[in-house]
Amino acid sequence: MESFFTRYRNLIVLLTILLVQIVGLAVQVRRTDEGRATYEPKDPPGVRLIRLWGEALVAPPERGIQGTKMAVIGVWRNYLDLVHVREQNQDLQKTIDRLRLEQASLLEDARQGERLQELLDFQHRYIYSTLAAQAIGSSGSDQSRVFYLDKGSNNGLRPDMAVITADGIVGKVRDVFPSTAQVLLVNDQTSGAGVILETTRIRGILTGNASGQLEVVRVSADERIKAGEKVLTAGGDLVFPRGLPVGEVEKVARDPDRDGLIDVIVKPAAHLDRLDEVLVITNTAPRFSPEEQQDLATSEVVMGDDATAIKDQLKASQIMAERLPGLIDPNLPPEQQPLLDTSNPNPVSHPPQALRPDRFTPGNAPGTMPESGDSSKPDGAETPKTVTPTTGTKPKAAGPQTARPRTGAPQAAAPAIAKPEREPQ
Amino acid sequence: MSVLGVNFRRDMEIRRYPVLVYALLPLAALVLQAWLPRVVGPYVWFDLPLVVTVYFALGRRNPVQGTIMGASMGLLEDALSHHAIGVNGVAKTVVGFVAASVGVRIDVENHTIRLILNFLLSLLSSAIFVFTYRVLLGLDLEWRWFTELLRAVGNSLIAMVLFPLLDRLQIKES
Repeated sequence: MESFFTRYRNLIVLLTILLVQIVGLAVQVRRTDEGRATYEPKDPPGVRLIRLWGEALVAPPERGIQGTKMAVIGVWRNYLDLVHVREQNQDLQKTIDRLRLEQASLLEDARQGERLQELLDFQHRYIYSTLAAQAIGSSGSDQSRVFYLDKGSNNGLRPDMAVITADGIVGKVRDVFPSTAQVLLVNDQTSGAGVILETTRIRGILTGNASGQLEVVRVSADERIKAGEKVLTAGGDLVFPRGLPVGEVEKVARDPDRDGLIDVIVKPAAHLDRLDEVLVITNTAPRFSPEEQQDLATSEVVMGDDATAIKDQLKASQIMAERLPGLIDPNLPPEQQPLLDTSNPNPVSHPPQALRPDRFTPGNAPGTMPESGDSSKPDGAETPKTVTPTTGTKPKAAGPQTARPRTGAPQAAAPAIAKPEREPQ
Repeated sequence: MSVLGVNFRRDMEIRRYPVLVYALLPLAALVLQAWLPRVVGPYVWFDLPLVVTVYFALGRRNPVQGTIMGASMGLLEDALSHHAIGVNGVAKTVVGFVAASVGVRIDVENHTIRLILNFLLSLLSSAIFVFTYRVLLGLDLEWRWFTELLRAVGNSLIAMVLFPLLDRLQIKES
């Protein structure tokens, strides 16, 4: 036996190490109900330990390299490369002033929208607080599009937090270590985010392909989707707040696996390949942040008169709405309300019935009454004669076209020019 | 044939390096592999941990050491990714074993052979990675062989420059 192990030592070591790794792989993958293989949602303890070792080994040198790089860049930008800074500063100050006014105006609209959403019991979450972080490293593989941040659980980061830049969304926090965090980029093949096309309002799932391109997959073919259309987050994935820029449509490709479906290739708004500083959305809330509320207060001061006028207009419109005829007829029982009548798409309210109907009652105009056999006709009442007018004046209609006869008898075809002989006294 | 055969005493020598080289070179490869993609963007057409694994496996000419070296590098690469731990580990374990086994049989001092070996072993690593990922685990993964081909070329070019530099670090027997 000893000679066997000695002789095949290399092969035994190889097979043992391979076997251990394959068993380890089997622990990390499970089958879904649909029969597809997928990763376990949470790393087993042993796997997490190996990830911790890897992170602990690589993160400190990466942090050092990134720190050195940023220090060199900082010295260059802050102390050496200062040509035209004064002019740029003045331009930026003007831009800030303009944006402040625009922001104040937009916040007023946004707050009004928020009130309406509250009325509709719709909870839209706003970005409440963010944490700036530096990207210090990556996985090193284009099959695993993740990168590492220099902030971790010690800084309040948690899995599934959204990571963005000023340009657009970047990814989500996948795993958190004490001083670093792993971010899964949106262009990874295993990534997914709910998005909506800005103009066509077509929704879809954003993911990455083998080339690292963003694509909205399995969208129904639609000719309205054109290159250049903006793509925004839809807000339904519980990671990204709604309305954040994702990118713009680059082209549309036919889904190779499914007929009638297309994949929309999206050019990312953020520079996913070269990220330095990112923002992690650490908190969202259904209210504005204190800073935004302060801006809102400023906007109300600046736009006080306009806001009062808008409120007055709202009040006036509410009063008008109350005065306008509704779809509820107080004279009809609940089951016959025109609002419930689905046969007529444009229901009209009926005038109340007269207690003592006469020929001037709508629907009882001369010529519209049945000649005989009307049991509802009062005894001894004369049947009015129909007289053809000799004048050329246009007669008025006898009553509303939708008016029903008082009796159950079928209504005779009313002459269009029926007119009483003399006006009622 | 003298190029391929192990006919010289020199070819059978096992290379030895200072401990620091054993410790720092793999670490440097891992750190650079993780950091450089942020500089070069999407053009990650190299795999430094694989190059280092091949270098040590060829130089040490010991399949067990090559296997352990490959497994360690692969597992640490997996630890930095979001994939299952072991996908790269399996691939580089096999590569380390094969490189060390080949190093016993042929002359690995020749630059052309080093170039070809790195190219072939890179492709082998990619093939095992895909096999493990898609067949063994049954996971979905889009794959572009052209990128793998470029990566194999990149690894060969890096090895051509790096191996002679690393050769200078070895301990010379007086």
